[in-house]
Amino acid sequence: MENNRRKFLKIVSHSLGGVLAAGIAAPLVGLGIHPWLKETVYGTEDFINLGKLEDFPVGVPKKMNVTSSKMDAWNIFEGLVMGSVWVLRKEDDSLSVFSVNCPHLGCGINWGEDEKQFLCPCHEGVFDLNGKVLSGPPPRGLYSYETKIENNNVLINYKKLI
Amino acid sequence: MANKLCEWIEDRTGLSKLLKAALDEPVHGGAKWSYIFGSGLVFLFVLQAVTGILMASYYSPSSTTAWGSVYYIQHKTSFGWFVRGVHHYGSSAMMIVALVHMFQVFIFGAYKRPRELNWISGVILLLFLAGFGLTGYLLPWDQKGYWATQVATNIMGTVPVIGKYIKILHQGGSDYGNFTITRFYTLHVFLLPISLVFFLFIHIALFRKHGVTPYWKMREDVLRDRVDPFWPDQIFKDIVFALGMYAALAGVVFWTRGAELQAPADPASNYLARPEWYFLFLFELLKYCQGKYLIVGTVIIPALALTFLFVLPFIDRNTSRYPSKRIPYFGAIFSGLTGAVVLTVLAMHHDSKDIHIIHQREEAEKQAARAVKLAEKGIPPTGALSIFLHDPIALGEKIFKESCIGCHKIGGEGGDNGPDFTNFGSREWIAGLLKNPKDAKYFKGSGAMPPIKLPDESLLDMAEFLLSQSVGLIHQNAERVERGKELVLKGNCVVCHPIGNKDLKKIAPNLTEYLSETWLKEFIRNPGDPKFYGTRNKMPGFDKLTENQLDALIQYLISLSKDRTLVSEKLGNRGYVFGLTAPRTMINFQDKS
Ligand code: HEM
Ligand code: FES
Repeated sequence: MENNRRKFLKIVSHSLGGVLAAGIAAPLVGLGIHPWLKETVYGTEDFINLGKLEDFPVGVPKKMNVTSSKMDAWNIFEGLVMGSVWVLRKEDDSLSVFSVNCPHLGCGINWGEDEKQFLCPCHEGVFDLNGKVLSGPPPRGLYSYETKIENNNVLINYKKLI
Repeated sequence: MANKLCEWIEDRTGLSKLLKAALDEPVHGGAKWSYIFGSGLVFLFVLQAVTGILMASYYSPSSTTAWGSVYYIQHKTSFGWFVRGVHHYGSSAMMIVALVHMFQVFIFGAYKRPRELNWISGVILLLFLAGFGLTGYLLPWDQKGYWATQVATNIMGTVPVIGKYIKILHQGGSDYGNFTITRFYTLHVFLLPISLVFFLFIHIALFRKHGVTPYWKMREDVLRDRVDPFWPDQIFKDIVFALGMYAALAGVVFWTRGAELQAPADPASNYLARPEWYFLFLFELLKYCQGKYLIVGTVIIPALALTFLFVLPFIDRNTSRYPSKRIPYFGAIFSGLTGAVVLTVLAMHHDSKDIHIIHQREEAEKQAARAVKLAEKGIPPTGALSIFLHDPIALGEKIFKESCIGCHKIGGEGGDNGPDFTNFGSREWIAGLLKNPKDAKYFKGSGAMPPIKLPDESLLDMAEFLLSQSVGLIHQNAERVERGKELVLKGNCVVCHPIGNKDLKKIAPNLTEYLSETWLKEFIRNPGDPKFYGTRNKMPGFDKLTENQLDALIQYLISLSKDRTLVSEKLGNRGYVFGLTAPRTMINFQDKS
């Protein structure tokens, strides 16, 4: 009798304990995995404004800072310089916007006004005006960004390199 | 394979033997429901620990980030509000269960020889619990935590000679700041848990050594012959209790929609602080200890009470555990309890009658909701208080206090040349106006409009219709609108008031889109316009206000009633002031010329 009672009590205790543990664990896990469910650090704009189209000379690349704001969990950081890009306005007012980081090992590339080429100081990578590799170790041409022009403003999608 | 591994581990550690010994612990006299409170406390403590650890992975202890991170937990994660709620109400539950536990062991006479140290370690645990409550309350760095904790640290300061130094040590300086948070945080998540676990270990080890103290009337033979194993007999009861407590906690959390988070702490405000309910009796006690007697309430009485608890096992040396043999001690403990309960009830009673407190509570709720809405857009790195700098309503309030309050009263404050703006633009306010425009609250002697002699319900219908013309009326009632429309359009109103066409002029103000954002804007710019008061106007126009300021003012006016929401959440001036302390005093009008 006593033994059966205890056996029964054990089973009930295990099940109740299991329910309790699950009830406690579920919300805790839910909170713990929050960073899987939601972006916690992100730029607030998809397309970032670089300035008016007129600000860019035709045929000569111009280096521009990319300024935007960033949400970091609860904080917003406004007017942050996120990096910089090379902007080339062409004859037909179309644009190429290149990353300043070399596709080889990431050094900052310069515009050689005399050579009319992009030059990487680290391992002498050389790119033409359209970002194509001319010589040196870089495995591919310059990274660029999707661009669009709205109300005469130059906008780039800084989140995605192409 | 698994078996072998288990054997290996068992061989090296003796773990399961240990576990078996712990589980088979004999409970003399039988398992009892009256023994559940101690293990219930262990359960609650573990619950506090796991919820606390999870929150610690989101919490950020500094004066600029604490509020923001708690806001994030509360409003931006999926289960944060629940976890925080369990932790918040869990602390109250621990306090309640600890007190019940203490009274149970007191009534059973379990503090007597040889269990003196068991009792004493228990009293120490109770003090740690109070420490947890006190330090945790500050961590969100909201109005209520900030101001209530000020009271506590000021009490520390009243201790003779060393008080000042203790206070500075706890605050991490002579005023509240980053170090106050880091210190309270260190206490709450490192020092107190470590100390509590240490004493809990002693407490439980001693309990195991001496065994449970049974009901005083239990017969010797029952005590000897009835022996239940701890597992499952007692543990079953403990688990049922734990499950019950957790279900109750979860219920409270759902019912209250989690713990409150007030607006960020504003050192420049004068907030009336109230501590958690379990400290209220101490707080109330201070009201009766004024002037040089303050120390009686802050130090002497608490110290005496604690000393009594600590020495109780040594002064009550009678071996009998019958309550009838311990009357003086029952008297002492229960008069202490009664005193504390009476003081708590008194404190609550005062507050429930104090118009200032009631008003402040409503105000705090509004502010909190506002803060959450503003924080949605991100909190500037200068700290949570800076969100109010972007707040058009705060800016509007400031403009109101500069330009309007001379003639319009709000909440009993201000002049009375113009209508009273308390609850301005609510259904009630408009119905009141219709009922009697000449009332002291409205146009007084200058009211040219005749009172509308209709029952209150009809006046409310008319108000519903008038307000329904602009977007943003909360819980709009379509039937009322229809009835109100009938009354307004078919009644006498339209004899004097144009309605339906914005540009029509008659002898009284045009009521098309009455009190909407555009209506208010045009009106405030030029109340003397023929479409408003025309030649009868007595209010100055405010066409000098910039678009921004006017927007802010109108948003403030609309926020005065609970019946309406803002349609456009336009932001006021951007650009915040660094080194800011108080939003209301620091907002500067960049574009006011
Ligand atoms: C964090 C708070 C506390 C925890 C976690 C805790 C835990 C426990 C546990 C697990 C037991 C053994 C089982 C039981 O009797 O139910 C126990 C026994 C005991 N506790 Fe506590 N306790 C706490 C606070 C207190 C307080 C505040 C007091 C008294 C002021 C106290 C006095 C005692 C005594 C005298 C016993 C022995 C009971 C007996 O012999 O029947 N404890 N406690
Ligand atoms: S990093 Fe540019 S060439 Fe190597």
